[in-house]
Parts: sequence; C-alpha cells; structure tokens
Amino acid sequence: MGTNIYKINPEFRDIMPKEIIDLEENATWSATTDKRGIKELPETKELLEEHSLCAGCPEAAALRYVLAALPKPEDTVIVNSTGCTSLMFPHIALHTVHSLFGNQNAVATGIKRVLDWRFPEIEKDVVVLAGDGATVDIGLDYTLQSFFRQENITTICFDNEVYANTGGQESGATPKGQVFKMAPTGKKFEKVRMWELAVTSGCHYSMNMTASAPKAVAKAVREAIFVARYLGPTFLNIYTPCILEIGLNANEGLREMKEQDKERFAAFKFVSPEAEELLAKLKEEGRL
Amino acid sequence: MSKRSDMTETKNWSGQTLVTADHMLFEAPRSKHFMTGSEVLKEAVKRCTVDASVSYPITPQSEAAHLIGELWAEGYVGVYFRGENEFGVMSEVAGCAMAGARTITTTSGPGTLRAMENFAQWSGTRIPCQLILMARGINSPLTIQPDNLEVSYMLETGCQIWYAENVQELFDMSIAAFVVAEKPDVHVPIITVVDGFFVSHTRESVMLPEDDIALFPYDPNRAPLPAIDSETPPGRFLRDPFVMKSNYISYATHASWQWEIRSAVERSVPYARHYLKGLVHVTGDADAEIAFVACGTASYQAKEAHRELTKLGIKTKVIKLRTIRPFPEAELLEALKGVKTIFVPEFNVVGWLEKEVKKCLYGKCDANVVGGPRVAGGMSMPAEAILREVMEKINSGKGA
Amino acid sequence: MANQGPAYYSPYPTAVYEGVITPPEGKALLLTKVVDEEIAMREIAKVMLTSENATIFPGPQVLYGYNEESKKKAKLIKEMSEVLNAKMIPMYDYRPKYPKIDAEVEINPNHPNLTIWHNEIKAAIFIGVHCHYANVALKIVRAETDCYTIAICGLSGHEDAMATLRDMHSHELEKFIKIAREVKSELKL
Repeated sequence: MGTNIYKINPEFRDIMPKEIIDLEENATWSATTDKRGIKELPETKELLEEHSLCAGCPEAAALRYVLAALPKPEDTVIVNSTGCTSLMFPHIALHTVHSLFGNQNAVATGIKRVLDWRFPEIEKDVVVLAGDGATVDIGLDYTLQSFFRQENITTICFDNEVYANTGGQESGATPKGQVFKMAPTGKKFEKVRMWELAVTSGCHYSMNMTASAPKAVAKAVREAIFVARYLGPTFLNIYTPCILEIGLNANEGLREMKEQDKERFAAFKFVSPEAEELLAKLKEEGRL
Repeated sequence: MSKRSDMTETKNWSGQTLVTADHMLFEAPRSKHFMTGSEVLKEAVKRCTVDASVSYPITPQSEAAHLIGELWAEGYVGVYFRGENEFGVMSEVAGCAMAGARTITTTSGPGTLRAMENFAQWSGTRIPCQLILMARGINSPLTIQPDNLEVSYMLETGCQIWYAENVQELFDMSIAAFVVAEKPDVHVPIITVVDGFFVSHTRESVMLPEDDIALFPYDPNRAPLPAIDSETPPGRFLRDPFVMKSNYISYATHASWQWEIRSAVERSVPYARHYLKGLVHVTGDADAEIAFVACGTASYQAKEAHRELTKLGIKTKVIKLRTIRPFPEAELLEALKGVKTIFVPEFNVVGWLEKEVKKCLYGKCDANVVGGPRVAGGMSMPAEAILREVMEKINSGKGA
Repeated sequence: MANQGPAYYSPYPTAVYEGVITPPEGKALLLTKVVDEEIAMREIAKVMLTSENATIFPGPQVLYGYNEESKKKAKLIKEMSEVLNAKMIPMYDYRPKYPKIDAEVEINPNHPNLTIWHNEIKAAIFIGVHCHYANVALKIVRAETDCYTIAICGLSGHEDAMATLRDMHSHELEKFIKIAREVKSELKL
C-alpha cells in the first residue's frame, strides 16, 4: 500500500497546509524514483519537516542524509531511543517508534518479525536509529542480541561521544581522558569500538565514519539497508559531534567531523563475502 | 510453518474454524480433560489465533512458554522466539503488538520486576497484549515458591489485571482476556494472574471446547492508535512522542493521556462482566455477617474454611475478586451488604489486597476489615489457618 | 457527569471517573444519557446549525485516501459541512509541533484548545481521528473551553465528548446527513 497513506482526499485538498500537500506531490518514494539520494535534497520535499535541535547540530544534517537515502521509505519503520535524536522523530514523515531508553533493538525485532508475518509479500525495512548512550551503554545487550539472532535490521548509531540530551555526561563512546560530567577527572577507559563488536557479533556490514561527506553517508545507509533486508543485521557508527558539549560554534560541526575522519572515526568498513556478492548483484541490477 | 495469508473468511491460518468469543466461551460443546495450568494455557492459546509470542525461562512459567513454542512449531502461532531477558522480551512484545499482532507472553516473580519499565510503556501506547503472570516470590533471599507480592508492583501500571483461581478459570479467562483487551475503547494490556505452582503445576479436571475452532483474528484497523506498519495514516506518526520536553511543552497532553489510560481500563467493566459472568463470584451464605474477600488460590482455601465453619454453625461467604484492575468496587459493596467482619487471606506479607479492599470501602461500608491470614515464601494456607483467624476474632481471647 | 466548560487549568475531570462510559452498540450518548442514535443525530445537527463558528475537525482516517471507505467518507463529510454550514479544520497528524501551531488552519491533539479559542468555535465535530488521540484532545477541550464537542466515531464512541455517535460508517453518515437536512429545514435555516 505504501504511498496511499499520503494521498489527500480531493474533498480536503483546499484545507490542507502546504507541507502536507508538498509531501504528497514532491516527496520521493521507491515507486516514483529508482534511486533516492542526497542529490535530490534541494529539489524535493524532505521527510523531515522541522526539528528542535540546536542550531548547527550535525545530527540534524545526518538525519536528513539518512532519510534521503532510504531505498523504500514508504515501507520503512524507524525505531528510536531516548536522546537528542528523539526530538526529531515526531517530525519524520514515516511510521516511527520511541519506546524506552535502550530497548530499541528489541522493539525493532518484534516489529520486523511481525511485519514479515503480516505482509510476506511486501519488503518492509526496519531501521534502528539511536545515540551512543542508547546503543553502547544502556542498550548494549539488546543491540548485540539482535545481531546474534541475525535480525534483518539496520542499526545506525549517531555517535556524539556523550550523553548530550541530559546535559553532557561521559558515555562508553567517549574517548579516554575526556572530561565530561560523571567523569570529572577524565574518562578512565577507551572508547568502545562498537563497529568491531558488531562484526564479532554477526553483522554482515559494519562501518565507522563521520557525517562529513553526505554522499558517503547516503551510500552506506542504502547498502546497509539492502544487506539487512536480504541477509542479516548491519551496523553504522556515524560521528555527529555535540558542538555544544565540546565548545564549538554552530558553524564548526563540519570542520570537527572532517578532522575526525582521520582520527577516532578513520574509515572502518567490514562487508561479509555474502554481502559483497549481494551488493555487486544489486549494482548490476541498477538498484545501488 | 503457517502463513498468515492462508487465512480465509472462515478459517484461520492453521485451518481452525473462526468463531466468536461468545461461541467459544459459552456455546461450543465441551469435553472433560485432566491437565495442569501450563498445559491448559497451551489449549487456550491454540484456540486464540495468536500472531506472536516471545518467551524466556523462569520458574514456574517456563513450561507454559515451552508449550506455546510447540504451538508455533505446529503452525498455530505465527511468530515465536526466546528473548534475551524479560526486559528485552517485554520490549519485543511491545514491538510485535505495535506492528499489529495479537501477542502473548508469560513471566514470573523476578522476571516481572526485571521487565517493570515496560508495563507502563505498554499501557501508555495502548497495546492489547496479554501477559500470563504465574506469581512467585521475589528476592531476596531467592525463592522459586508461590507468593503473589509481585502483583502489588503491577497495580498502577495502567494494565488490566485479572486473577484466575484454578486451571479451568485460567483457560476461560485467558481467552476472554484477548477479547476484552482488544475492544477499541479498552485496548490496553491485560495481565492474567495465577498463583505459580498451585495452578501452573496442579492437574485438575477441565472442560474444553474442541480444538478445531479458534477466535477471529485481531484487527489492528480497529485500534485506537495506528499500527506501526506503514499502512495506516497518518504517514507521519511517532508512537509515542515526547510531549513535555523543554523545547515542546504540553503538560495537558501528558495528564490527559494518563487519565485516558485509566479511563480505558474502566471501560472494560461491561465487557468483563459479560465474558467473565461477573467481576466477583460470591459463594456461601447470602445472609452471613462474616465474609472472605480473596483472589486466586486464597479464595479456594477460603471456600474450604467456609465449609468447616458451616459445620460449626458459623455463617460465612466468600467473595472472589476476578478483576483487580479495574477494581470491582460496585460488585464488592453489593456483596458486602449486611457483612460486619471481612477477612482478607493472602499469599504475601504486605497485604496488598487488604489495602485495596480498605481503600474501596472507606466511607462506604462500616464492616471491620481483618488483614489475614497471610502466608508467604511458598507456605500453603490450610483452611485451619483461616479458621483460627476467624475464631480468634469472634471468640476473642479464647482461641480457636 | 460530563461538564461543559468553562476553563479549568487541567484536563479533569474525565467522564469515566464520573461514571459515564461509551454507549452500548446501537446507542448514542448525549452528555450523561444513553439515547437512541436518531435522537442524538437530531440534537447534534441542531447544535451544529445553531452554534457560532461550528466546525468539523476531520482526522487522518478520512483526510487520506488509503482505502475505499475513507474516500467515501471524505465525500460525505464535505456534504455534511455544507448541510451544517460548518467550517473544516484538519487534524492531519498527531505530532507535537515545534515551535507552535497555526490555529487558523489546523488543530493539534496536544493543545486543541488553541484552535478553539482562536477561532471562537462553539460546536465541533471530531471525525476520522484515531480514538486515543480523540480522547486525549476531547478531555483537554472539555476542561479548557466551552465548546460543545461531538464525536462521530467509526468504533465505540467517546464519553468525553458532549455527544457521541458510534459505529458510524458511510451508510450511517448518509443517515445523519439526511436527518441534518430535515433539522435544517425545520429550523428554517
């Protein structure tokens, strides 16, 4: 069914606001274009209407890239967790879930399995998008267990290396030595290398990257979703710095990400042989 | 494995004939069987066209969870797997139910407490899933024995709570529970409680309808919130948004939402009255001045005590509460007319049911409420213990 | 009993806690009374036709053409608005909006009172709004405004509205429109 839920009944067209009409007329769906992507951001209706994050927050930009890259948004459910990301979720023009802090991969498991049961004839993608606190700390068990179980879910961690929404506390993803609240003398242990844990735990595709290059983010999202749809769990760790907590101005997020492209977020990419094969095939078919 | 698309207008995916809840519960011919609570739950789930179930081992509910797994292997249940722990399981159940599945799970004692954050989330997001709670003691020290203290933790989660006395009631209640929980104006989770071991592991005679019939499937289009399936408008829909975060504030929404959940539980009353044939069951002497108010196994023991007291010429009645949430206030007050002393026998040390009864009666009934007898940690509650309590009270200072 | 406004600062009391619940099948609810559907339909038409700035709030289940029933209902609601001389303001989704809503053109379930205050709406019909969000909104409206709220529900109805019809599918909406026309001519409007 997909896009029917965006079709405005003609009797109400004259009373609907522009954003809703735009969504029907100018958003892109798998049925209207083969390849969605960030190149269409300036010309089409985005799936993120507005948001209430800080000015210049790289997370908001990264979410726009993710949404523009979804291969089949009209059949994509995104599961979220508590944190800064949850402030954007009400404004995403898709079915999304915020349940509790840390249970995102468990909730996504239930949704994915039931969607496959209810709609065996429709490819439904389930994507988890949560912060580093949710993915690496409070939700680590549920994240890894969904990898062990080989759930067909893409997990995206917006890693800002801090609990930003609660006021700047150290997280498992914070680099060693960094002073944050709750680590007043500096963090005592190394940043958790979640992208490596993902590989050991059964992910078919795992990346560590920053959101500095929109096209690279979009490519990774698209590939990860296809691999999750046909093979099994995939994971993306994407640096979206909290400019507020590390003392940067609104226009300095991009520079920070570019610097970290060579440091803590130096490109890591794992693709299993089966996933390599799948991606090559999809490319041949023109789907990538 | 079955396919949901195998379902037709008249048959579910496993080929059972679809029937109404009234037919299943009141009209279909029944035959006699001899089985435990765990086994009878399998029989109930088999007849409920269940889409999904998630399991985790913990005594004493493990067997019930295994048997639902067998139903999945036999093609009666659509989705089934073992979760990572009870917090994960209850989150997975939430995902299944939000995606539009009729969903059931089971847990006990420490598992309930581990999963606790989920229950308030379940009711808040209006999923009609069913939790079978086979009550056992909670730590510390560790016990696997029957004790229903955990129920007190569930009272204000916004879920409906029903309490079955025996194997037969577990069968009928767990079927009715889906039907009532899925009513569009109710549509909040339902917790069906039995006392662990006393019901889960005790073999009793039960009357069951044939297993070639099953309930009509759950229809997520009749839910009060859109299912998370990308098939229901609005396309832009978060289940559920923050409404009181500093950069978006509507305190009224959170307050109204919370009242709505509690309202939904109360709206179940007429449906529960119909499918349970009353929220309370009263047995014994109609004109008694002594009443036992109890639920579950304690009400069975109270009925034993009533029989013994009858021999001594003492009139008593037993008021068995079948729903705890909603609390059956009107029915209880009606049943207590003329009663001067109320005993509340319970399988826990805190006396949560006594508190519930007192809260309900305050200012509305002059009867004296005696909390007890109480046993805990796996002790049984022999009728003699109840007799002693009564004799002490009515024959003060002279003992039983 | 279900209070009609005026403003309180909180969405209490809720009708259920005053002993009012959704009407049984085949019946309707007018304030605290269970009545025949036709009696409620006549009263609803009269209130809408005689109140200032009467407005229909269509929700997602009728705004979007995702199935045949929603398309049919859309046509009927348009007709209904003409018969009742009512304006229409959509509740097109349920998200809490940032930074604020435009009360002229939309109603949001998280503070529906803003739209009612701004547009001085004295009677309103909720239709096609998912029951949970309708109930959240109706409680707020009841506490914070003096608007006469009407729920025309495809499922079990809404006791927090002053008047509620239940199981209203397109066939029943046709019946309501017919009755509304009769009431309109009786009132010589």
